Amino acid sequence: MYEVTNVAVNYGAAAAVSDVNLRIDAGELVVVVGPNGAGKSTLINAMAGLHAVASGRLAVDGHDITRESPHRFCDHGIAIVPEGRRLFVNLTVRENLELGSYRAEARRTRAESLRRVSALFPVLAERMDVPAGALSGGQQQMVAIGRALMARPRFLLLDEPSLGLSPMVAHEMFRAIREVNAEGVAVLLVEQNVAMALELARRAYVLDEGRIAAEGEPRQLMSQPQIQRAYLGT
Amino acid sequence: MPSATLLGQSVLSGVFIGALYGLLGLGLSLSWGMLRQVNLAHFALAFLGGYLTFQLSGRLDPFVTLALIAPLFFLAGLALHWFLTRFSVTLLNTLLVTFGITSIIEAGIQWFWTADFHRMENAYAAVRWKVGPLFVSLTDVMTLGFALALSLGVWGVLRFTDLGKAIRAMTEDAPIAAAFGVNERLLGYLVSGLAAAVAAVAGLCLALNHTLAPVQIYAWMGVVFAAVMMGGLGRPIGPLVAGIVIGVSEAITMAVTNPTWAPLVSFSLLIAILLFRPARFS
Amino acid sequence: MKTLLAVGAAVLCAVPFVGLPAFYESFLYLLLSAIVLATSWNLLSGYSGYFSFGHGAFFGVGVYTTAALTGKLGWNFLWTLPLAALTATVLGVALGAVVFRVRALRGELFALLTLAITFVLATIALNAVDGGPGIMVNADIPKLAPTASGVLYLLMLAAAALTLWTAYAMFHSRFGTGLFAIHDDEDVAEVMGVPTYRFKLAAFAISCALAGLAGGIHAIFVSYVTVAETFSIALAVNVVLMSALGGTRHWLGPAVGAVVITILLYAFTSGNAAVAGRALTGLILIVVIVAMPAGILGQSLKYFRKESKPRSKVEEDLPRQTVKISGEPLLVVRGVAKAFKGVQALAGVDLEVRRGEILGLVGPNGSGKSTLINVVSGHYAVDGGSIRFEGGELVGKPAHRIARAGIARTYQIPRPFPQLTVLQNVALPPMFGQVVMDRAAAEREAWRWLAFTGLEAKAHRLPADLNLHERKFLELARALASRPKLLFLDEVLSGLTPSEMDGALRLIRAIRDQGATIVFVEHVMRAVMELTDRVAVLTYGKAIAEGVPAEVMRNPDVVSAYLGAAHV
Repeated sequence: MYEVTNVAVNYGAAAAVSDVNLRIDAGELVVVVGPNGAGKSTLINAMAGLHAVASGRLAVDGHDITRESPHRFCDHGIAIVPEGRRLFVNLTVRENLELGSYRAEARRTRAESLRRVSALFPVLAERMDVPAGALSGGQQQMVAIGRALMARPRFLLLDEPSLGLSPMVAHEMFRAIREVNAEGVAVLLVEQNVAMALELARRAYVLDEGRIAAEGEPRQLMSQPQIQRAYLGT
Repeated sequence: MPSATLLGQSVLSGVFIGALYGLLGLGLSLSWGMLRQVNLAHFALAFLGGYLTFQLSGRLDPFVTLALIAPLFFLAGLALHWFLTRFSVTLLNTLLVTFGITSIIEAGIQWFWTADFHRMENAYAAVRWKVGPLFVSLTDVMTLGFALALSLGVWGVLRFTDLGKAIRAMTEDAPIAAAFGVNERLLGYLVSGLAAAVAAVAGLCLALNHTLAPVQIYAWMGVVFAAVMMGGLGRPIGPLVAGIVIGVSEAITMAVTNPTWAPLVSFSLLIAILLFRPARFS
Repeated sequence: MKTLLAVGAAVLCAVPFVGLPAFYESFLYLLLSAIVLATSWNLLSGYSGYFSFGHGAFFGVGVYTTAALTGKLGWNFLWTLPLAALTATVLGVALGAVVFRVRALRGELFALLTLAITFVLATIALNAVDGGPGIMVNADIPKLAPTASGVLYLLMLAAAALTLWTAYAMFHSRFGTGLFAIHDDEDVAEVMGVPTYRFKLAAFAISCALAGLAGGIHAIFVSYVTVAETFSIALAVNVVLMSALGGTRHWLGPAVGAVVITILLYAFTSGNAAVAGRALTGLILIVVIVAMPAGILGQSLKYFRKESKPRSKVEEDLPRQTVKISGEPLLVVRGVAKAFKGVQALAGVDLEVRRGEILGLVGPNGSGKSTLINVVSGHYAVDGGSIRFEGGELVGKPAHRIARAGIARTYQIPRPFPQLTVLQNVALPPMFGQVVMDRAAAEREAWRWLAFTGLEAKAHRLPADLNLHERKFLELARALASRPKLLFLDEVLSGLTPSEMDGALRLIRAIRDQGATIVFVEHVMRAVMELTDRVAVLTYGKAIAEGVPAEVMRNPDVVSAYLGAAHV
């Protein structure tokens, strides 16, 4: 279980996220929705060690990782698919994937992980030796997800994987995420595509202006006025 | 028009001097491309290595000296990296700070060895072969050998090992590389140390083939920068290839026209690259 | 102050006539030439941040022009001085005309380029002018003073006075302010109306002219010129060192550094001490860069900063006009397209902004809103389409011309000029707006907008001292200060707390009441619904709906663009 307790994260001088409590149980699929600027990316980046936490506690299975160095986070089974993908564009697809399994434990199962990613995204198999920067947006997103899977995570953190993708390709992405989750990897999904995200998840959080505004079952949340107001102002 | 033999000899010497450009450029290219540091002190360090080799040449074989000073230089590289990161020196300011370090090293060299020209006597320099009508000396071949071995070696490491891929990934996006377990601080030190250790090798080659004088430190800067920028930042083989191209064109210019026109070749190339392909360096 | 200056000038002019040993004249001469070189270098490199390592080259061109004309052609020495300056200027302008057009050639690349130019010019001088052995200069020096060294001293004194006056005048003019803005953020400066290309070129020309002039005088001083001594990198580095030591952001800084370094080097001239002197300058360079980025003068001025106060209460003279929203279109965007590396950010946007309205521009992340602002303000060139403002076409115009036409913007992540004070930040756009103001008038205007946004108390602080909400207001004040007809607000509310947000909304209403038309890009929908007269929705680089807010947001296409349609 990945537990976030009373966490605040600052962005420059301002508090981007404050007083957030959230948890991911083993094997579950949780989504965080909320309008732009609500602090979703800041939160997920902090959970992956990309951004330092100002106060509060991050813990994996009771083990405190709040003060770990950034490069240690993956040792606790955490892998991120960051916003905007952030692939190593001059490295080939294969190299990007291999880098995902850089840590010693993941390195041992590299060949098997590669097969698994190829099975998940068959289109990547033909493009292994192409620089990642030369791929289409959708394929790049596949590499980003693949790279994270190569780390053999127990907790996969996805930051807006459908951003900038056509509805068709976005659909493909969500199919893959579901498949990964079905294999037992716990997923935290940050999304602006609310309808789709909520249909995928069993549990959801609504983040608004840096705080958790609601938590619960998707169907329940969907009918709540907070979501409509936060997104559409109506 | 010079004779074919003279021209051939010129091209050959151009290749050898180009190899030294490439060797000097290798360290520069690594620290600029990977660490975003323009390290002018690299030249002074190489000369310091050359002088140390020269100083000990009466007692030690130059290669034994190399084995001694390369680790020392590695440590110097660590110290430099610590300093530049500790004070978060910007890219432009690394140029100025390392120029300051250059002045200090240069002053140290001048104080210890005076401003005079020195030439190292050594057994290797006496070995020469005649290949057809052309002369080849052992020390030149050694320089080319070092340049090839180190450039290809670094290329291989970057291309084929996990460590190398991690370094390249770190260059592109350090935080994300860290998220996958890459210890970017450690790798930064490693690259800086290695670049400095390569300066020790370049120093040996300088001492084997060239006269040493403090003012010579500056004479190499411009040409090597041209080679690095032509070859591409952070690319290990590029500076060598570009260095040889420059070396050969300089040598031909010297043979065909007045030797004093030679600098025009490399600097015009450098200016042309900056004007037409500036995006390569951002 | 004036009398002090006059007395100082009289004393300096009297030096050659009191019969001091020639040694002092030479020393003072070297001091003055260091002041000229460092100060003239600073006009381009310190003010606008384009660090040149090629100052020695333009100095050298001056030296060789005078040396060749007097030594080889027997010209009169004084006549060669304007030519020395001119030759250096022509070369500088020719170089700048090419280099300053290349956007990526900044920072260390410009430094390396100018370094390379030094070697190229040296090679040409060596082969084409000199021929190798150097040139013996044999000029008849005009009898302005009892000794030849006295005459050269006086000439260099005049050059130093000219240089310092130029530096002072530029520093206090809109030219200088524009250069400082270029130093801090060139792209923003251009969008705020600074003609960056022309300014850089002019600064380079002046800088080269003064270096060439100093070179011309120096040719006579050394009397025998060689390429190795003239085109030295040491000179280029010394002027950088002097300026950095004294402070590059003040007109007098380089002169202070020049005095310190010259005295220092002189103290170490003999024997091994010269080596120690070189090491010491290296050490100083490192320490200054790391520990004293503002230089001696900059650092000390921080302790004695004069703080001007606003002249009067200014709120009452804000123009207040109630603008009726007319149907008349102010900005008409038709079929605008823009792609980055194959990604179509704008795919034929059609949009109309009407005079006097607040138009909300909304859409999901990545829908092209920011790109649209960047395109209208001239930061990006469009791939196709037309943008007409008050009937005139904007496509193809440089950003500073668009600013001058009356379009201003804020940045989502505030981009103040980090080394200008809050007041200077806000005073910049009025100097380059529709009505060009001088610096004093622009500062009066700036005070007005600082009062409007409640930032008066922070006027003399640097932007880094402000919190996020104040920085957002600084963005607003800066955009307003040019009195734009059309104002783009790019997510001014993001990152603000609810109460700060209410303050910002009041402010935006007040802005509209003064007659500006506003395009309000925002994600906080509550604010959009509250504030805007009409909204336009962008998704995948196209405008899919435009109209009254409540209606548009109920449009099924818009709802699915925001919340996504479920495919599962």
